[in-house]
Amino acid sequence: MSIATNQQRMPSDSGPIQSALTPAWAAPVGAWRMLAQRGSAPKLPKGLDAAWDSAVGLFVPMVPRRGRYLRRAEHILTMQAEHHALSDDAIKERALELRGIFRLGREEKEHVDRALALVREVSRRELGMEPYREQVAAAVAMADGCLAELATGEGKTLVATMPAVIAGWRGRGCHVMTVNDYLAKRDANTLRKLYAACGLSVAWVDGEMPPPQRRQAYNADITYCTNKEAAADYLRDQLQLGRMRGLTQALVAKINHGGMSGVDRLVMRGLENAIIDEADSLLIDEAVTPLIISTEAPNAEQDLAFEQAARLAQQMNKDEHYKVNLRYRDTDLTRAGKARAAELCEGMPGVWQSPRMRDELIVQAITARELFLKEQQYVIQDGKVVIVDESTGRLMPDRSWRHGLHQAVEAKERLEVSPAKDTMARVSFQKFFRMYRRLSGMTGTAWEGRYEFWQVYKLPTVRIPTHRPCIRIQHPDRVFGSSEARWKAVVEEINRIHKGGRPVLIGTRSVEASEKLSSMLNAAALKHEVLNAVRHEEEAGIVEQAGQPGRITVATNMAGRGTDIKLGPGIAEAGGLHVISTDRNESGRIDRQLYGRAGRQGDPGSAIAFVSLEDELVRKYVSRASRRAAARAGEREVSGSRMKRLFDKAQARAQRLARKQRKSVLKSDDWMEENLGFAGREH
Amino acid sequence: MPVDRPTFSESWYRVAELKPRLRSLVQSYRQRYRGRTWHVLRDSANNKFFRLDEASYHFVGLLNGRRPVADAWKVCCEQLGDSAPTQGEAIQLLGQLYQSNLLDADLPADAAGMFERFKKRRRKEIGGYFMNLLFSRIPLIDPDNILDSWVKVFGWCFGPVGLALWFILVGAGLWSITGKVDDLWDQKSGILDAANLPLLYVCMVLIKAIHEFGHGFACKHFGRQSHSGGEVHTMGIMFIVFMPLPYVDASSAWSLRNKWHRAFIGAAGMYVEVAIGAAAAIVWANSVPGTVTHALAYNMIFIAGVTTILFNVNPLIKFDGYYILSDILETPNLAQRSKDYLYYLVKKFVYGVRRPRDPSHSKGERFWLVFYAITAAIYRVFISVSIILFVVDALKYMGILLALSGVIGWVIVPLFKWAHYLLANPELHRVRGRAQLATVLFIALLVGTLGFIPAPYHGRGEGVVEPGLIETVYAGTDGFIQTVLPSASVVETDGGDLVTTTNVELEIERRRLLAERGLYEAYYRQARSSEPAQAQIVQAQIQAVSEQIDRVNEKLTALKIQPGMNGVWFSEQADRLAGTYVQQGQPIGLLADTEKLLIRVTTNQFVGPQIMDDSGEGSMVQMRVRGRPEVMVQGKVVKVLKAARRELPSAALGYAGGGSIAVDSQDDQGTLATEPFFEVQIEPVMDGDSAETLYAGQRIVARFDLPNTPLLTQWWLAIRQVIQQRF
Repeated sequence: MSIATNQQRMPSDSGPIQSALTPAWAAPVGAWRMLAQRGSAPKLPKGLDAAWDSAVGLFVPMVPRRGRYLRRAEHILTMQAEHHALSDDAIKERALELRGIFRLGREEKEHVDRALALVREVSRRELGMEPYREQVAAAVAMADGCLAELATGEGKTLVATMPAVIAGWRGRGCHVMTVNDYLAKRDANTLRKLYAACGLSVAWVDGEMPPPQRRQAYNADITYCTNKEAAADYLRDQLQLGRMRGLTQALVAKINHGGMSGVDRLVMRGLENAIIDEADSLLIDEAVTPLIISTEAPNAEQDLAFEQAARLAQQMNKDEHYKVNLRYRDTDLTRAGKARAAELCEGMPGVWQSPRMRDELIVQAITARELFLKEQQYVIQDGKVVIVDESTGRLMPDRSWRHGLHQAVEAKERLEVSPAKDTMARVSFQKFFRMYRRLSGMTGTAWEGRYEFWQVYKLPTVRIPTHRPCIRIQHPDRVFGSSEARWKAVVEEINRIHKGGRPVLIGTRSVEASEKLSSMLNAAALKHEVLNAVRHEEEAGIVEQAGQPGRITVATNMAGRGTDIKLGPGIAEAGGLHVISTDRNESGRIDRQLYGRAGRQGDPGSAIAFVSLEDELVRKYVSRASRRAAARAGEREVSGSRMKRLFDKAQARAQRLARKQRKSVLKSDDWMEENLGFAGREH
Repeated sequence: MPVDRPTFSESWYRVAELKPRLRSLVQSYRQRYRGRTWHVLRDSANNKFFRLDEASYHFVGLLNGRRPVADAWKVCCEQLGDSAPTQGEAIQLLGQLYQSNLLDADLPADAAGMFERFKKRRRKEIGGYFMNLLFSRIPLIDPDNILDSWVKVFGWCFGPVGLALWFILVGAGLWSITGKVDDLWDQKSGILDAANLPLLYVCMVLIKAIHEFGHGFACKHFGRQSHSGGEVHTMGIMFIVFMPLPYVDASSAWSLRNKWHRAFIGAAGMYVEVAIGAAAAIVWANSVPGTVTHALAYNMIFIAGVTTILFNVNPLIKFDGYYILSDILETPNLAQRSKDYLYYLVKKFVYGVRRPRDPSHSKGERFWLVFYAITAAIYRVFISVSIILFVVDALKYMGILLALSGVIGWVIVPLFKWAHYLLANPELHRVRGRAQLATVLFIALLVGTLGFIPAPYHGRGEGVVEPGLIETVYAGTDGFIQTVLPSASVVETDGGDLVTTTNVELEIERRRLLAERGLYEAYYRQARSSEPAQAQIVQAQIQAVSEQIDRVNEKLTALKIQPGMNGVWFSEQADRLAGTYVQQGQPIGLLADTEKLLIRVTTNQFVGPQIMDDSGEGSMVQMRVRGRPEVMVQGKVVKVLKAARRELPSAALGYAGGGSIAVDSQDDQGTLATEPFFEVQIEPVMDGDSAETLYAGQRIVARFDLPNTPLLTQWWLAIRQVIQQRF
């Protein structure tokens, strides 16, 4: 179970919209679609059906889609000549003609090809960029409802426009999901001209927008947004609808209450098309963290209890009173621990007299102390605990931990305990994305997750080759006995490369690690940039510059995703960007993403990982025996094929565990659905 | 979860604001089991029951349709402290109640969900029907009205008066058959006669119908007494291995508080049945054998006695006995929970699952759960195998299909579930390695022990004891038999004669010859002095006559036949032979050697060749005598006939003669076996005891020591044998 949630607050201004003044179109056009499809994520197959489904899943990636799409792309490229000659008006006319066909849902393969050729031409005229064969092939794949694996730096933003135009023409809205608000806004603005030329409106949604603007944004043909905004808006809409079940009741309510019914306060118009950028992180990595809409429910007694628990936890000793399980990230009181708790709580009031509640609170406090570490799992900003995404090192100010853990961490840090929150609605992203009728996506690294994409989202994965052959040099991992030795080696490596004038990008996993490296670099008098903040715009700026000569950039793994690192003058000749990973991630995909920063679009580049046997991956996922065997190496460098296998195995195990967790989230969603029917559909 | 029962659940928001309540039709009854209070909810619309513990009931009871779930839960927590249901448990509870259609929520009905549940239940029912063709139930009528109007008439049967009368009746029944137990026993073989079967079946249906009405009336009676209704709404036909029999659903006994009342309802069927049996016993004892009444009464005694003991009382299958036992032990849902408890033990101690759910409610119960789980499992294996074999025997190919469905349902599906549990159950997610290892080790150990470690292996065969040597006694000369020793008398060589015969002609002949010799002797004396040459001739004549006399003398001695050896004298018509005329060489009787016995054992085609190959001639064999299992006799194989044959050495070995070998029904002699067999001849090794034990004509069972073989191989052979014998 993921223990974090994404919190969204219910907007306080959700009072009645001035119904007298609001004309009938206040409700989004096509709101009925939203009503008709409430909570209708397809059910998971069970029993033999499930077995059959996963058997089919094994074969899906074997279908030779790649060649087929590349051939179609060639065909589309040949259609370009006829478009070259047309005037802008003629192009628009053609666009409107095609739009008619798509809106009626009468499109054939031929129309898709023509549409893509048209968009390609528009792109050339409006943006000065002409998608090349591989980009077109990816677009065909996505228009076909696939997930395209497109190497980093292959111009995904442009690729997305092609299926988005087709989806826009269908007239039911199209959500293009990006990883952050900044990218949503940037993409929507840069591509506006292109869409306009195709007869489509475009808008973006960000976290600050008030509902009327949101409504407008969702009413645009194409809406750029983040997954969180989309899911939160969906949930808020569901809350507006309250317990109305389906279209009929909503219509009756509308007749009865007119503008006062929830129907008019909806902002979305159904979940129809979604094009997902960085699909692997959205559909897999972040998908288990549910999104929650909550209200604050201050509870002074509870706040006090958390503080008391933190104090009690300090009087317990590890291994004597409690045990910590690193792999499963939990703690457990021993028998002595329970006795100790009872002893400590003697004479304390209220919840402390109930053994169950008492143990629960203390276990939580211990968990907060032992497993949730500052600078690793969270940082403190403005007196608040801000969660750091462990796989990406990114700050997640919207997230908080569940089950009061967040409060326990706050209590441990002696911060003001944030008020308890009452959940009003909740959805897991897995479920949310499954509700879209047409889903497609693209990412740099999809292949590892191909079975899961099919099983959960029914998305076949297509690997699109790079436009120019990738000439990145991947050096074998260097493994060290201790973490210290690793860091020393990393600094040496940076120094060495830096002297050659090549830019270096170092990926770290946690904020703590980036701070540590930064101080070591300072000590070595190496000028560098550190990236671990929340400001996506600055981040993008720094990452963009990371390719300049002599640059040293220390960034958490996923910083500046979606931004190209362009090489400075003369760098390509010197060997391009050098990427150093200081940790192997739990998922190989994330490693690959980092390496992919070097050697974009046929540029030269190189990548290497420096890992140690004290890394979390090893501590958590390698059996004690092999760890001990490996530890005999001591501090030395112990690189070799045996070590590589050790890390690969740990990674595979970590991913297996994560996959299982995701599956169980999905299953428990299903169980709830079935057994809480009396409570209405989940929203 | 790091905590046993986490207080909060993140899905709580979904139910927190709801204001559900139990449907108005739901009735609740309070009961105590092993010192704990339980509440039984009954849906009077479909007579379904749902058991809640005290804390859960407290929570559910607080839901009145006006109070939100969150409030009820808070109140519950304040009042009950730790024993209050956690949020997760409360959600689960509400979900279950909802799934059982016991909950009314302040929401528009979830029609789609209701249809979905209906469909699911239906599919489950039909699936269950097909998975369990051998024990299917078809509900037919609602007997509630009938019971209601007649319970006034019959209700007293279950009261003190009825009980007293019952004891008197049963006492009288027993009294009437005392002294006639032998008759009762003797008549048993006729019960399964083809001619009697229709009558038996009619009696069976009749008695079982009354039996079921017994349950029904008892349920009604006690239900009315305690004002809980005691409704009985389902009666129908149950097919037990294709035999249609009536059944009744008396599950509203659940609502009774007094466990003895519940137990009595469970026993009411047998109570009534035994009364009928007693009445039938009185009739039987006082009717004339051979009449229909007598036969009818006998059938009734048989059914009321045998089927009750075999099926109804047996608590290991889910018939009356089971319900009575679980009521008396105060362990509701015994079968399921005992199974769960066993799983729980495995999960906890073998697989190391953290905090598995313990299905036992109290310490005292655990012993019963374990005990019941184990005995019931063993019994289930036994009964399943016998039913499958029975069905296969009775229905051949159709039977194979049914047997397959049985094997799938009883063996494959549970194994599959086990594998699935090991592979995918989230409960194991931390200990999956250990659980799988433990299971694999267990299976490996089992297969290793059974499949590779040789175990003593024996083959068995039935045989008949024959004398080692038999002499036919022939008449030595023609003559009239005078005395014959009675058949089966033991004789010795120096003892008396077997047969004495008279032949007057021989006597006369002797006298004539003696006279003739006298004459010749006179001639001789005369001729010796006068004509010596003549004398020589006469002497030769004397010689010849003397020889004739000797021959006649021999014949005369042969008139008395004496045994040539110690043994037993057999003569079929010994008592009728006296006075009859026999010719020389005519057989009169047999003389069997009792000191040397030979045992001819038939072994089937599986055992026979193995004896030939492995132990062979000269090996020692242990034997037991049929009918005297306490005596063990040693023997030595003297010969194994190399060719299989079908003629039995004695009719006593065939079915027709009471043996265990199937014989061709066309064969009048009853000595033609349906299957070829191998004959093994064994010579008993006599010591003091066995000499007195073995007699010619006895049937014995010989146990051959075969080379040690792994048990799996042995079983595989046995299964092949069973299959081959049937097809």
